[in-house]
Amino acid sequence: MSLRTRLFALIGGTVAVTVVLVTWTVSSSAHDAFAALDAQRTAALVAEFRREFAREGEAVVARLDRIASSDTVLRVAMDVAADARGRRASTFAEHVNDAATLAAAQGLDFLDIVADDGTIVSSAEWPARFGYRHPWAVAAASASGAFLQSIELPRDGAIGLVGVRTVVAGGRPVHVAGGRRLDQQLLRSLPLPPGMRALLSRDASGELAALSPLVARVRQTRVESTGAVDLTAGRETFTAIPLAGRNGAVLDVLLVGSSGREEAALVSRIRWSGLLFGGLGVLFGFAVSYAVASRVTRPVERLAEAANEVAAGRWDVSVGDVGASGEIEQLARAFDTMTRQLVDQRERLIQAERVAAWRELARRLAHELKNPLFPLRIAVDNLRRAKALSGAEFDEVFEESLATLTTGLANLNTVIARFSDFSKMPAPQFADVSINAIVAQAVQLFRAQADAPGRPAIGVAVSFDESLPPVRGDAEQLGRAAQNLLLNAIDAMPSGGELAVRTSRVDGAVRIDVSDTGVGLTAEERSRLFTPYYTTKQHGTGLGLAIVQATVADHNGRIWVESEQGRGTTFHIELPINPQ
Amino acid sequence: MKRFASASLAIASACLFAASAGAGRARYGGTLHVRTAAAIASTDPASRAADTAERRAREQTLAFVFETLTSIDHAGLRPALATSWQSASGDARWRFRIRSGVRLHDGSILQPWHVETALRRVEPDWKIAAGAEEVTIDLPAPQADLPWTLARRQFAIAVQGGARDPLGTGPFRIDRLDGRRLTLRAHDGCWTGRPFVDAIDVDMGQPIADGVAALERGRVDVAPAPQTDLRRLTQRGLRTIASQPRDVFVLVFEPHRTEGGDAPVRRALAAAIDRSAICTVLLQSACDPAPTLVPRWLSGYAPLMPSVDRAAARAAAAPLPAARRALTIRVEPTDPIARAVADRIAVDGRETGLAVTVQAPTGLAPRPDARLLHLAVEEMTADRVLAEIATALGARVVAPSGAAPAPGLPLDAVYRAERALLASDVVVPIVHVASVYGIGERVEFAGPSAVLPSGAWDAANVWLRPERQP
Repeated sequence: MSLRTRLFALIGGTVAVTVVLVTWTVSSSAHDAFAALDAQRTAALVAEFRREFAREGEAVVARLDRIASSDTVLRVAMDVAADARGRRASTFAEHVNDAATLAAAQGLDFLDIVADDGTIVSSAEWPARFGYRHPWAVAAASASGAFLQSIELPRDGAIGLVGVRTVVAGGRPVHVAGGRRLDQQLLRSLPLPPGMRALLSRDASGELAALSPLVARVRQTRVESTGAVDLTAGRETFTAIPLAGRNGAVLDVLLVGSSGREEAALVSRIRWSGLLFGGLGVLFGFAVSYAVASRVTRPVERLAEAANEVAAGRWDVSVGDVGASGEIEQLARAFDTMTRQLVDQRERLIQAERVAAWRELARRLAHELKNPLFPLRIAVDNLRRAKALSGAEFDEVFEESLATLTTGLANLNTVIARFSDFSKMPAPQFADVSINAIVAQAVQLFRAQADAPGRPAIGVAVSFDESLPPVRGDAEQLGRAAQNLLLNAIDAMPSGGELAVRTSRVDGAVRIDVSDTGVGLTAEERSRLFTPYYTTKQHGTGLGLAIVQATVADHNGRIWVESEQGRGTTFHIELPINPQ
Repeated sequence: MKRFASASLAIASACLFAASAGAGRARYGGTLHVRTAAAIASTDPASRAADTAERRAREQTLAFVFETLTSIDHAGLRPALATSWQSASGDARWRFRIRSGVRLHDGSILQPWHVETALRRVEPDWKIAAGAEEVTIDLPAPQADLPWTLARRQFAIAVQGGARDPLGTGPFRIDRLDGRRLTLRAHDGCWTGRPFVDAIDVDMGQPIADGVAALERGRVDVAPAPQTDLRRLTQRGLRTIASQPRDVFVLVFEPHRTEGGDAPVRRALAAAIDRSAICTVLLQSACDPAPTLVPRWLSGYAPLMPSVDRAAARAAAAPLPAARRALTIRVEPTDPIARAVADRIAVDGRETGLAVTVQAPTGLAPRPDARLLHLAVEEMTADRVLAEIATALGARVVAPSGAAPAPGLPLDAVYRAERALLASDVVVPIVHVASVYGIGERVEFAGPSAVLPSGAWDAANVWLRPERQP
């Protein structure tokens, strides 16, 4: 992962985590605040409901007082008193519509005029009920204030905030019982804050039917309770307040709902803000990381690229001005200094090696040429001396010297040809070849030499991997390389030993291992082993292993040596099966 | 109770005539403003009324435009456009002598062929021949009471002239019918004499409950009043007139509640209904309790009113399953009197242990268990009234009882037929109701009765007092 990516991830992550934490904290705080506010508003609403309830009750009682003091009710009372003598039907007929008229005038939903024996004389909400017993008026006649009462109606029932007043005329009382319907209209007079609503349990239908368990619990326990219901518009919390009648029975349940829409809207705004600022933070992180990368990572990347080029062998690379300052600039300068010094050192090394090579070449040439020249010089001296000899002796010396000269010149020619061959090593002619066959042929050439009589015995052990695939290579050059390795191994065991040749398959390559049990190599010998004209042998040209290395290199392979003094040496060659 | 109701009506009439007597001589002129609860869809007397309310509205308007060959009043059958009649061939052929000199509303003289054409439109099966002064009717079957039949409003003589509305011979002619507003003009050449008022302006289809307020403000001279407001009208100083109790409220159980298993329910509800309370209290005595379908002032027989025995009714209903004890009574949503009566029946039923609810649907509604019908009675004899009611109830209700009401039955047969019809409590008569009208203070009646036997108020004998000077 690049520095730019890490910077981007670090800054973006930090901003995102910070925004998430802030959002979560603010949301939680908002939720807690709303919960507290909700509880306060519900309590205030319930208190307002109770005040409104009390005010409405006072208004109902006041209206009942006005009705009770009206002439109409007084006439009813007098007629009812006269009814003791059995004129009830005419009384009903006379006053059957009075309750409706009085109720309409006083704005009451319910009004019953009831005789002292409980008989309904006139009913506003159920005119047809005259002559029958009123279910609660007489029993509640002693109540001074308003109270909740279940009201029976022709089609259904209702809850009324009612009161009872008694009028006495002619020695017999008449009760006036009436009030207002407790319904949504009454609840609408409550100052409801936004997001809150109040309703009676009997009006809770549709989705609100899910509140039935809460209502049932409150009806049973007669204690205020709270519950929540999931509606289409969202989750809504309801506080259920029991509405008890005169005898304590729960007649209905007031449901105060808080939709939580404001809270949800605020939390939504907070979350959207969090998302917005998180996005901006990520963009900020991207911008910062880009800017920092421009200042820091780009020079570093340039240095890394230059270092890779150096590693690839291009030592003359220079990063120049990387557009940075401080340590990065110093690093860039140091890098350029280093590459310049490396180039200089390499030049010097090449020069030194070149000089050493020329020296080695000269030494070898001198050595190679010195030996054939010595017989030639002797032959020339013999001829010079033979001039003083007789003809026969001269002829003998002449012939002998001529033969020596011929042989010596031939040797010189051989030396020159060998050097010439090394300098003119041809490019390999690639074809599918069998490594096992090449190695076997080479072993076969040297098996006679290993088994030569009079020479300490050398045991040859061959192990071929028969599953080796063919490789692309030049069979002649590879064979010569194998022969050189075998020759070196045999030469390394003048006292006899064991020669082991082995082929095997490694990852994508074929390996050839040639081991001897000779004296082994020193560290310096190992380091200079493949240098041309370097040899540890008395009569070697020092070109054998150099040719082997050149051949392996031409086949995109590699060669290395493992050796331990006194225990032997092993050469390893790996050739790619499909050289590029 | 009957004495009480009759006394109330007598008091009303007495008040009216006392007022008339004190008003001085009748005078001509003025426009009478009238309201009706329903609007008439057609001025053709041969067309059928849609319901009882329209029938009442037609009675109150077209009766003064188109006249019949015969008429019925408190004294019985009387000549009208026909001066005399006689039957032959065993009552299969009837000859009616047409009154001469009767002028149609366009001034032309009514001819027998006018009568022939008008009657043929109503009864195409009759063979009617017009002579110089009489009309001969050959019936497909003998009919002894044809003169009574011809007194019905549908047999009124309406002449289709070139005008938009048909021509009649009554004291008023149709001047204009514009939606819910009908204007009638006095027919100067009426053979019974010119009416006192010059015109009648009829505001049709107005809510009956608004009539009282309109009367108080003097915007209306005559308006139908709900029986439930009778006492309130009196308390406000308004005069009222009432007809004989003609209309009958009948509770009729639907076919799915007429089986034997529902007999205890029907019996319990019938026994629980306090008719006296309905009449005395709800309908302010403008009615009679109805132990029978035929009003007793027409039939002459008065079976004992079954006493309200709620204990027995409750005992009968108690063993029944709740589903059987639940009853829904349907009433017409436009009839507030029917609604009030049904509400009281529901209360009575509830006190008996029945779960009775009232349904007044304006659209689709669940199937009711019973219907409270408000039947308007036109006929004037017991046999014809029972036949008329049986026709209104329908064969589906009448046939299972085995009763066969028909015109012409002797009174004892009418009584037996009615008893058979009521025996199973599928048909439960509740009350007979009078038509009640509120009368403005400038309205006076010159005739012998303010209300005609048909139940309509007598427009031909109304005159208007001049406005009081401030």
